[in-house]
Amino acid sequence: MKLILVSLISLFATCLQAQKIADFRLQDSQNSMKSFLELKGEKLTVIDFWATWCKPCIKAIPELNIIYENYKEKGVAFISINCDGPRSIAKAIPMGNSLKINYPILLDINSDVKNQLNLSVFPTLIIINSEGKIVWVHEGYASNYKEEVIGELEKQLKAN
Amino acid sequence: MPKKIRKKHLLYLLFLISYSTFGQFSGTNLFESQYGQIPNDFSNFSSTYNRTLLNYTYNNFKAGLTLENYYTPYQDRNYTRLTQGSLQYTSKWINVRLGSYQETIGRGLLLRSFEIPGAILEDLSYRSRYYFQRDIFGFNTTLKLKNSTTKIIYGKPLNNVFPPNQDQSLRRTDEIFAVYSDYNFYNQTLGASVLNVKNTSGNQLLGMTTISGKLSSVFSYYFEGAKEIGDNNFSDFSSTSTYAYYGNLNLNFENLGISLEGKNYNNFIIGSGINEPPALIKEHTYKTLNRSTHVAQPLNESGYQVEAFYTLANASIITFNHAVAINNLVNKKFTFEEYFTEYSFSIKDKHDVKIFADYAIDPLKQEENRISLGAYFDWKSSKKSSLKTEFEFQTFERNGISTQNYVVIAGYSYQSKWIINLVSEISNDQFLTSNPLKSWLGCNLKYQVNNKNNIALFGGQRRGGPACNAGICYEVLDFKGIEARWNYRF
Repeated sequence: MKLILVSLISLFATCLQAQKIADFRLQDSQNSMKSFLELKGEKLTVIDFWATWCKPCIKAIPELNIIYENYKEKGVAFISINCDGPRSIAKAIPMGNSLKINYPILLDINSDVKNQLNLSVFPTLIIINSEGKIVWVHEGYASNYKEEVIGELEKQLKAN
Repeated sequence: MPKKIRKKHLLYLLFLISYSTFGQFSGTNLFESQYGQIPNDFSNFSSTYNRTLLNYTYNNFKAGLTLENYYTPYQDRNYTRLTQGSLQYTSKWINVRLGSYQETIGRGLLLRSFEIPGAILEDLSYRSRYYFQRDIFGFNTTLKLKNSTTKIIYGKPLNNVFPPNQDQSLRRTDEIFAVYSDYNFYNQTLGASVLNVKNTSGNQLLGMTTISGKLSSVFSYYFEGAKEIGDNNFSDFSSTSTYAYYGNLNLNFENLGISLEGKNYNNFIIGSGINEPPALIKEHTYKTLNRSTHVAQPLNESGYQVEAFYTLANASIITFNHAVAINNLVNKKFTFEEYFTEYSFSIKDKHDVKIFADYAIDPLKQEENRISLGAYFDWKSSKKSSLKTEFEFQTFERNGISTQNYVVIAGYSYQSKWIINLVSEISNDQFLTSNPLKSWLGCNLKYQVNNKNNIALFGGQRRGGPACNAGICYEVLDFKGIEARWNYRF
């Protein structure tokens, strides 16, 4: 009984922490390497994972662009991580530029960051706080996407 | 020291280490239960599949394990196996991985590993279900300096034709050793790689070079060329030699983006298929087109793809794509051609519409004059809900016989929480049925419980066939029955 109790406590002790993001470096749309630590925001960082073949991702991007313009001066940084594989990576930068993504676009062609975070759906949007903890994960795109993201940003800014 | 006291000390030590380390567990669990039948089954049967991915992270270290389990009434299909295990150290400059990892060199000419999230593979031969991924088991280290990256890769890539209940020596027959290095200067990157593959056929040594970069704010490019160099015959580009090259140009003019790609592959299947050269064929999300995707043949294929997209002021997008693939196989030339266009726009800034048209000639599938048309509507019925409908029609000729495929989808979604749809397909394809018509009708329901859990249910009939996802094409089997899936992230 004691053994079970101690094992359970040990397990819960290690589970108490929210997942933290490890620093990563990826090539950006200007062909230079950029790291998460260089790009992260003072208070929050929003990362959008998308692919050119993902229609809901393309729908979400114009709405994220609006949110970016409203929050970029409030200590919130945005990062766009494209997860196209070799088949379609050639389209990532022209499409990103065509969709007017004005924040950094990073290319995760080997799915290094996607696999680090165990992501399986596109689009996935994550919000990271100033301590590097992932505080919100949103999968997919639906009709009130912009309102949901703004609502969560306001909540996390207050908590921060 | 008495055994009892020693155990107690170990337990307290474990307890203290847990609190002091503040390491974190994370992972995912995919559970799927089916009751039904696939082609060649004479009766329904139940099966369960489960995949648990568990990670433990402490500072720069990460350990991972993947456990897969498949259970049916048929013992020869069942298994419980640790299919992946890894240890990783990551810092700003170096990344070291032991065990299972994924790695792609360049655009995949020499080496490509992948994972198709959420995809469970099954075929008619082994009848065992398993996660669709192709990893490498071995050792990998990446050194990332300010202007250069160097990778040392060693291991055995997975041949995912064989499920986990087969002999592991069958699943990993190729042993590879590769070195890749690149250098970045003035926004240009020059890279080179050497790969040695060892298997029962012997040793094969291949070399590759890449160059890429941005030449202006509107123009960027990428080129990759690879060749067998073990024979020391660097200038041999004859039909019996082994070589491949791929290149792309990207142009951006304000709202217009253009991507041009070209390829030429000759005898370029490496080992059991550890590479995946870029296909230069558009991967469609529409069902009829996705099923019709031309699968690249690295044995011999050349061709090009051009895609242009223009974003209008109201966020409407016009897309145009044209692709050609030429295969010289068995002394015969096969030329695939495709023209695709799509217009996606909004009505009153809230209702979304997409319409497409596609024309193709696909001699490898024996499909001539293939015309596909379709429309997708997302009608916002309220601030939080929408009705989605999709119509697709496809017709082509095969050996003088006209074939038609129809897809009709009707669905409803409430926020990101609830999604339900009915999918109906009809076909008179004689490759699929000897009857005048074959139909499939199925219902999908997905419920997002919270940020970490979602449940998906299916009931009815689901049409199989070729499917392409994240750049990888594979075969999906027809299914008739009910299916429940639970995804959990922790």
